[in-house]
Amino acid sequence: MKKNFLSKIASLLMVAVLITSLAACGGKKISTDDVQETKQEDTAKTEKDSKGVEEKVEIEKPDKIQVMMTTILTEENGQKELIDKYKELTGIELEIIKPDHNQFYEKVNLAFASGDIPDVIELGGSNYTTYAVNNALWDMTDAWENSDLKASGIVKEQYVDALKVDGKLFGFPMAKGNGTITYVRKDWIDKLNLKVPTNYDEFLDMLRAFTNDDPDGNGENDTYGITAAGLINGETPYDIYLREFYQDAKPDFYLKDGKFVDGMSEPAMKEALQRMQDAYAEGLIDKEIVTNKTSTCRDKFYADQVGVFNYWAGYWNVNLETSLQSANPEGEVMPIPPIAETTYIERPPTAMVITNNAKNPEGIFKYLIEYSHDGDEGQMLFTRGVEDVHYKVTDGKVERLPYMATPEKLFEKTFYAAELSITDFDDPIEFDERIINSLEIFEANSVIDPIPTTSEVIAANLPELNTLKSQVIAKAVVGEITVDEAIEQYESQGKVYIEAILGDLNK
Amino acid sequence: MAKMASPMAKEQGPMKKKSNLAIRIWQYRYFYIMFLPVLVALILFYYLPMIGVRFSFYKYTPFAPPTFVGWDNFRRLWSTPTFWDAFRNTLQISIFKLFLNMFLSVSIALLINEIVNLKIKKAVQTIIYLPHFLSWVVVASIFMIILSPQGGFVNQVLLSLGIIKEPIYFLAEEKWWRPVYYFINQWKETGWGTIIYLATLTSISPELYEAASIDGAGRWKQTLYITIPSIMDTVIIVLILNLAKVLNLFESVFVLYNPLVYHVSDVLQTYVYRLALNANAPDYGFSTAVGLFKSVVSCILVLFSNWASKKVRGRGIL
Repeated sequence: MKKNFLSKIASLLMVAVLITSLAACGGKKISTDDVQETKQEDTAKTEKDSKGVEEKVEIEKPDKIQVMMTTILTEENGQKELIDKYKELTGIELEIIKPDHNQFYEKVNLAFASGDIPDVIELGGSNYTTYAVNNALWDMTDAWENSDLKASGIVKEQYVDALKVDGKLFGFPMAKGNGTITYVRKDWIDKLNLKVPTNYDEFLDMLRAFTNDDPDGNGENDTYGITAAGLINGETPYDIYLREFYQDAKPDFYLKDGKFVDGMSEPAMKEALQRMQDAYAEGLIDKEIVTNKTSTCRDKFYADQVGVFNYWAGYWNVNLETSLQSANPEGEVMPIPPIAETTYIERPPTAMVITNNAKNPEGIFKYLIEYSHDGDEGQMLFTRGVEDVHYKVTDGKVERLPYMATPEKLFEKTFYAAELSITDFDDPIEFDERIINSLEIFEANSVIDPIPTTSEVIAANLPELNTLKSQVIAKAVVGEITVDEAIEQYESQGKVYIEAILGDLNK
Repeated sequence: MAKMASPMAKEQGPMKKKSNLAIRIWQYRYFYIMFLPVLVALILFYYLPMIGVRFSFYKYTPFAPPTFVGWDNFRRLWSTPTFWDAFRNTLQISIFKLFLNMFLSVSIALLINEIVNLKIKKAVQTIIYLPHFLSWVVVASIFMIILSPQGGFVNQVLLSLGIIKEPIYFLAEEKWWRPVYYFINQWKETGWGTIIYLATLTSISPELYEAASIDGAGRWKQTLYITIPSIMDTVIIVLILNLAKVLNLFESVFVLYNPLVYHVSDVLQTYVYRLALNANAPDYGFSTAVGLFKSVVSCILVLFSNWASKKVRGRGIL
């Protein structure tokens, strides 16, 4: 008996020693890295215990994060270097899945359908709300509210608020949503002694001069006022282009006096269609607007065929002018403020979301999302990249290096554009003045579009309705039917879909 | 091979007890072994994926496991007016394109076959094959420039000849879209389509032409009574094989159509693509239902044409 008793005691002691040593091993793994340990302490967040007293809850650092991104840099341009640097700075392994840009959402959908779901995805527009309302995303409201990032006060919170769905935050803005601004040929304005238009009448006068007064000086009647790739955008915001014509019209469902209405049936839409029809008939709008692709619009702009083009603020100001000047060295591009009748529209930001599949969402929020917006080394890594790979520091001055795959161009961004940062990020690299200028004009004159509302009913009915919408708008503008006939056709042929969507939105 | 195919005397005795099929399988066992990889590939890549057809009776989104909904997907499909527009357009465009392509390919093959100078013949063949290798995106871009109502080549020529007074927006007018589409299609694909007919033409015995010539038949009579009947089998085979693919019409339409001409240009695949593109939560069940519907229609078309071939010519290919 005594021998048995001693054996039991010895066994218990051995088990206790084993457990203690295992725990010590686990602890040692964390404590080996002072930097990591410090960050571990930083990660503590507050949570209320059963007595309502706030206590610190330690956030575990993830070992690995799998992300599915489309705007992140390619392997050829130093993706591995980004991953290595992130590991060096945080101790976390980053696995990047980067599907082809055109197939991105198809791949995201397939990942969810097959159950092979990554931890983090970037989602924009109605894709974000669709995934949010289908309970596919982790609710990060508390994580954000209790975060050091929020407490730091460096984040422009209107961009975070713009992504809230019914008051809950399911994704964090990668950067500002940005939007389109009207670019005008400054050299044509100067040549024709025009002034920058401030209202619709002046805008039309400018288009008339660009169309009729031979602004390129070749003696031929081969120019026109404004171009665009289609009359309605293929996704929300549908009215982001042709702002001078849409003005206060909105070809979408939106809240009006506390109730959802169909913007297509509002009087403002008829007025907008009439403006476009008149301008098209007068030859001020590119005759091929219905069949244009974005690339053909840009080509026409570079080829002295058109004087006004509504396109993205920021870097595109530089791109447009550079390409124009390569064909016509005297060409100049000028972003203009919106005319008095309208404003520019900023898209809701594209979101970094954490999926419900993620094992440690709090850790991912802390070590990836917060880190990439820290206004410091994390943000530098996710915008400007890796030192001596994407930029170099010479005598304290930071300069961009060429792209690894295309050395003729300077590197722009690893994940999101620094100029669209939502934090007070003190970017050490100086921006081209044209980028700053167009963004300043845009930001001073734009409103953030609400995130699209979605549901099963909307998803089932909207595609058919959008097809009908694009048809009647095109037919009205080119003059095949009158504006009244267009709206009548839309309302009669789309009645079932409109009623279903409005019924669902207003229930 | 002769050894494999011949009956094996040694095995005659015990084999008598087995069925004829078993004997034949044993006799041709090496052929079956050779066929095995093909059979495995067929099962893996063609037949097993067909299990997915069941999803046409399911609601299947990325957010929930598939749930059985019976005929709901088909009811939704058939109750949409735009679906029937797309179905009608698909049949009309595909079948007209098929016969036009066949007529032009055979005609051009016959003409090329008449070229005596071998160098010129090969040069002509190369030139007419080339457009086939251009992608549809490139072809669409080229023709958008050529057909542009703002300084496009075609409009410039028509205007300068006084045929039209105002430029025509060819790709955006319903009455012009289909003729232009057929033209672009034939420009791109007719040359390629001649290959199989040219190959068949070379296999016609010259003795037939010599005999016809002795009997006093000219070029036209020879073509009518020797050449055309000789390539009819190929024409029928190509027709039936192409009918099976007749509803697979996407890229060429997608790059050339626009909202102004949906009524005459929207086909089943562009219709489904637009629905899927605008739908943030794709319903794979619905897409599969469209696919299954297309396959059934294609199957009916093939069986019908085979039946028609049997009636008219006494034989089909199935």
